[in-house]
Amino acid sequence: MKLKIFFAASAVVLSGSMGLAADSSDPIVVPIHNWSSQIVMSNVVGKLFEEIGDNVEYVTTDSQAVYESIRSGDVTLEMEVWEGAFGASFRAALEKGGIVDAGDHNAVTREDWWYPMWTKEACPGLPDWKALNECAAVFATPETGDKGRFLGGPVDWLKHDQERVDALDLNFVVVNAGSAAALWAEVAAAEADKKPVVIFNWTPNFVEAVWPGEFVDFPKWVDGCDKNPSVGPNPNATYDCGNPANGYLKKAAWDGMKDKWPSAYELLQKISFTNAQIAEMAKFVDVDEMEPEDAAAAWLEANEAVWKPWIE
Amino acid sequence: MSATAETVTPAGRLNLTRRQVALGLLICAIVMALARPILPEFLVRVPDRAILPYDSFLQSVFDFIKDDLGLRYLTRTISGGLEWLLDVTANLLYGKRRWPNLGPIPWTAITGASVVLGYWLGGWRTALLAGGTFLWTALIGQWKLAMQTMSVIIVAAPLAFMLGLVLGIVAWKYPRFERALRPLLSLLQTLPFFTYLLPAVIFFKVGPPAASVATIFYAIPPMVLMTILGLRKVPDSVVESGHMSGATRWQMLRHVYLPAARTDILVGVNQVIMLCLAMVVLTAFIGMPGLGAKLLSLMNSLKLGRSFEIGVTIVLLAITLDRLSKAWVVKQPEHFARGTPWAKRHIFVLAGLGVFIAFLILAQFVQVADHISRKQDLSMGKEIDGVIKGFLDIDAVQAVTGWLRWFLITWVLIPLRNALLWLPFMTVVLFFMAIGYLVGGWRSALIAGGFFFIVALTGWWDRSMITLYEVSAAVLLASVIGFPLGIAAAQRRGWAQPVLLACDTAQTFPSFIYLIPAIMLFGVNDVAVIFAILIFATVPLTRYTIEGIRAVKPEMLEASDMSGSTRAQKLWHVQLPLALPTMAVGFNQAIMFAFFMVIIAAFIGTQDLGQELQKTLAGNQLGKNFVLGLCVSLMALAINHVIMRWADERKKRLGLS
Amino acid sequence: MNRESPVIACKHVWKLFGPSPRKYLASLPADRRFADIQKDGYIAAVRDVSLEINRGEMLVIMGLSGSGKSTLVRCFARLLEITGGEVLVDGQDIMSLTEKQLIELRRRKMGMVFQSFGLLPHRTVLQNVAFPLEMRGQDKHDRRERALEVIKLVGLEGREEYFPRELSGGQQQRVGIARSLAIEPDIWFLDEPFSALDPLIRREMQDEFLRLQNLLQKTIVFITHDFDEALRLADRIAIMKDGAVEQCDTPDKIVLNPATEYVAKFTREIEKSRVVHAASLARPLNGQTPTGKPVAADATMHELARLLVNDTRDSLPVVDAKGLIIGGLDRQEALDLFLGSD
Repeated sequence: MKLKIFFAASAVVLSGSMGLAADSSDPIVVPIHNWSSQIVMSNVVGKLFEEIGDNVEYVTTDSQAVYESIRSGDVTLEMEVWEGAFGASFRAALEKGGIVDAGDHNAVTREDWWYPMWTKEACPGLPDWKALNECAAVFATPETGDKGRFLGGPVDWLKHDQERVDALDLNFVVVNAGSAAALWAEVAAAEADKKPVVIFNWTPNFVEAVWPGEFVDFPKWVDGCDKNPSVGPNPNATYDCGNPANGYLKKAAWDGMKDKWPSAYELLQKISFTNAQIAEMAKFVDVDEMEPEDAAAAWLEANEAVWKPWIE
Repeated sequence: MSATAETVTPAGRLNLTRRQVALGLLICAIVMALARPILPEFLVRVPDRAILPYDSFLQSVFDFIKDDLGLRYLTRTISGGLEWLLDVTANLLYGKRRWPNLGPIPWTAITGASVVLGYWLGGWRTALLAGGTFLWTALIGQWKLAMQTMSVIIVAAPLAFMLGLVLGIVAWKYPRFERALRPLLSLLQTLPFFTYLLPAVIFFKVGPPAASVATIFYAIPPMVLMTILGLRKVPDSVVESGHMSGATRWQMLRHVYLPAARTDILVGVNQVIMLCLAMVVLTAFIGMPGLGAKLLSLMNSLKLGRSFEIGVTIVLLAITLDRLSKAWVVKQPEHFARGTPWAKRHIFVLAGLGVFIAFLILAQFVQVADHISRKQDLSMGKEIDGVIKGFLDIDAVQAVTGWLRWFLITWVLIPLRNALLWLPFMTVVLFFMAIGYLVGGWRSALIAGGFFFIVALTGWWDRSMITLYEVSAAVLLASVIGFPLGIAAAQRRGWAQPVLLACDTAQTFPSFIYLIPAIMLFGVNDVAVIFAILIFATVPLTRYTIEGIRAVKPEMLEASDMSGSTRAQKLWHVQLPLALPTMAVGFNQAIMFAFFMVIIAAFIGTQDLGQELQKTLAGNQLGKNFVLGLCVSLMALAINHVIMRWADERKKRLGLS
Repeated sequence: MNRESPVIACKHVWKLFGPSPRKYLASLPADRRFADIQKDGYIAAVRDVSLEINRGEMLVIMGLSGSGKSTLVRCFARLLEITGGEVLVDGQDIMSLTEKQLIELRRRKMGMVFQSFGLLPHRTVLQNVAFPLEMRGQDKHDRRERALEVIKLVGLEGREEYFPRELSGGQQQRVGIARSLAIEPDIWFLDEPFSALDPLIRREMQDEFLRLQNLLQKTIVFITHDFDEALRLADRIAIMKDGAVEQCDTPDKIVLNPATEYVAKFTREIEKSRVVHAASLARPLNGQTPTGKPVAADATMHELARLLVNDTRDSLPVVDAKGLIIGGLDRQEALDLFLGSD
């Protein structure tokens, strides 16, 4: 009993003397997903945590299931919360509690219909969506008949492409790929004979570096376009517009993080990357074929001016 | 169901032959299909109000078990123990910062020791294979990844072995337990791997612990089955000699049964290792680092060359583990003359240790012996990318794939799919009842038809039919390739071996590596899906055809030669009829593989159960995940039952069993 | 000869295989035959068998495959639970033993040799032979000594470290024999020990076996399907058919007086002269004492053939080992054995 009191007392003294409570020596668990920019960014941030004296451990997790893991504290944070892709999972987790919003990156994200540059040769009016609709036939395949084929992302990304096709009366059939890899494979296969394709894509993404291309210009996103039929060109339908061109890219953290690793949490809140910086990280891996840790080290070396102020 | 019951009872009384009853059922099925436009709606599709929300039932059951019963605390405790073990292996193999903080062991030390092990088990060939595999892994720059994967296998395989062994022994001892266990094992063997992954994540901690739990569950069934089989096969005289030696029950098990069943148990071990390797790659989906995770991320950035290299590493690892464990199976104890010194008896242990320590010391001074860093490896990813691109650029390739794509989609796949979707569900149920009745009487009819009926009741009928259509289309096409290939290979002396090796390789290649080439050849559509399944399904068809034909006794062939039959006559009248039951087993396995692969093919893009399953993984919907998994499982089990029943009966009739 | 109680006595032993054999046996009418029982869905592997085996005696149970002989011997050792009747070993009902007592009985008193050897494939010859000793927890050094001793006895010296698969069939059975002898059993069961061997080896093993038996004088139950083997080895033979004992007697008596048509089928093809001894043909003297050179009681007719043909006496005196005349051998009767009586 006495011993316990002694420990408690010394703990109080210790924390008092250091002013701010020190970070726990337990490792901060940083999740790794399966796309390059996130992997490199997580490594960069991990190295920054190590810079301020924390221990870090990386775990590979599913990018949707990670929010559940953050809530239970198995995973400490998430560096890339895309509005379009993970907004729903993130919000759901936020409502259940256990997870906190750790601020936005400077970068904006965009997800929409996209085509590689060579497609323009077959359909010169692009990127206008009406022009796209007029040359729908060049996108036709055996399974879509004479309608054009739009290759969307996996259905669970919930991109409402079908609703848009209906709302804007597009001459297209939506085919859902099963994974991101399937999208890129399709483009790579089309590249050989410059076949026109239109697929779902986003930025920042390594694809921009490999195949230059553009997003299709749909009617501008207006708030309520997805809920209120009267908003947008078609008065009777929702989703009669493009996706927002500047979605957020957030950081999220376990709500126990600020107590367990206060300094790291403070650092996390300060961290903010731009589109260009993210693209650079991805490029190290995707184009220069570095291993993620090497890429993170290379990035940190080249961008000291960016991160030094964060850890002051 | 009541309609079928009526047609059935008089048939039983009238003493109709099996064929007639089956024909009757089939006619019912056809009539129902023809009468579809006037058929009452509840025979076409199970009406919505009859479909109960099984997924939410199950979800609440799971939630109840997880939260209210507190199972999660138990599983979390277990995963704590698992994690400790995994941390130890992780530290030793790739230097994760955990107790005992000794690792990573230099690659040269592991490679050296494995060469000695290989030599001891199977001579210089296995030594070369083991050494070559590890050397390749290190040189290609995948050492750490491979060790991450191995660190889980090293924990999961022994646990799966022990659990399987214990369950097998209990099942062998208590027939009642076995009767309860068998259906469960069949279920485990046909459940899609997604259905293993999700509960593992929910009940065990994400990452290596969950991955090893999923892997263990996946690998247990063959171990249990082989244990039961092995214990049953122990000759009576050995058992009786044990009794007559006055062995107690425990002594019987420990000294008589288990050692006498050694070979079968070791075959089980071999299967455990192979399944562990297959599953551990797939657990990349639930955050297991290693070769699988790297493969996924490489594929997501379309690095085909380097994905291919990882595939090669996995195949090499699989072949090495397979050959080593098989060598262990056939390795019999050797005797030493009396008075042989200790050192000579344990020469291989000493040699292994010696090599290990030598490299351990060497690695302290020579960096390359310790680890090979990124710039030093020999990866040729970019070059392979170039080759693949070049291949796709060939006009002839494009013309062929373009035509195939058009032909298959327009003339085969879409009609088949539409037909299956159009059929009333009762037609399908009755059809399977008819086949079931034909091969095994009422019991089989009820199993085959009943399973499909349950699928209909879940409300996932349309998606199940799309799954079934993909599987059947792929298996049919695979038969067109696999049977002739197998027959041709079995006829010629020099062919069988290379073809079987190709089969092994194709099968151990990580399944999702086929997806990208399939898309690049055919685009995101059903042809690519079918193509990816096809590769997998052709393997067992070819292998079992070869094995079936080669297992025909030489006397039979000599007899047919002496009867003056031509090659074709011999094939047609002697070899094929006798090989048919074995070929049927191959056909069955092709279907099981296809059911496995069709779920993975969801990554190409499908509208089947796989796609829905994939969604549940992201949304943590355990109940729905389970219902969907069950649909896949039930269809697979129904077909499996029918084919195996037929094959067994046939074998019995031919006196082959 | 003082009348000792038999080592093994079985009384009305039944062994039925089927769904509920005990109940069925209780309701079984006495005249139900093998085929009828089979129709009822039961196999009567052992049918109402009563036998006694005396100390130092070798009883050979002979029958074709499926006659129930192997089942019967397994009932003696309680490897199978009998359905009805009683098996007494040294006066004790073995069905009343607990598992522990049964194990103890096997560890101290019984040894068994199997047709397919029943060797443990993962153990060396030495370890196989020492196995029963190990089971009863004997000290490691002791059991090694004893095992080496029996291995020497069966002539396998120098092969102690071999594994069963490295030995020929005959050698493997020698290991089986050595193992069964390791605990120095009183009762020795041999279940078709030589059936799996080549004819030449079989002969050699039989000689070996007789040598061992002369040395050890065990109480033996020996199973065979080979009538010649039975005649060669047995003190008494029990011939079984469809689970029942057709006849149980000495070889001479079986050959001379087959009790049933079935037994006669076996004896018909046998060269009787090689089996029948002078003693069994010797007739009581009835006052008349045959004269001249006597013949030994344990000589077979075959051995006496030349004498019988050349001699002119009607009756020859038969003497036992002590030289006492025990009866007269009718020469004509003896010659009939060679030529057939009609």
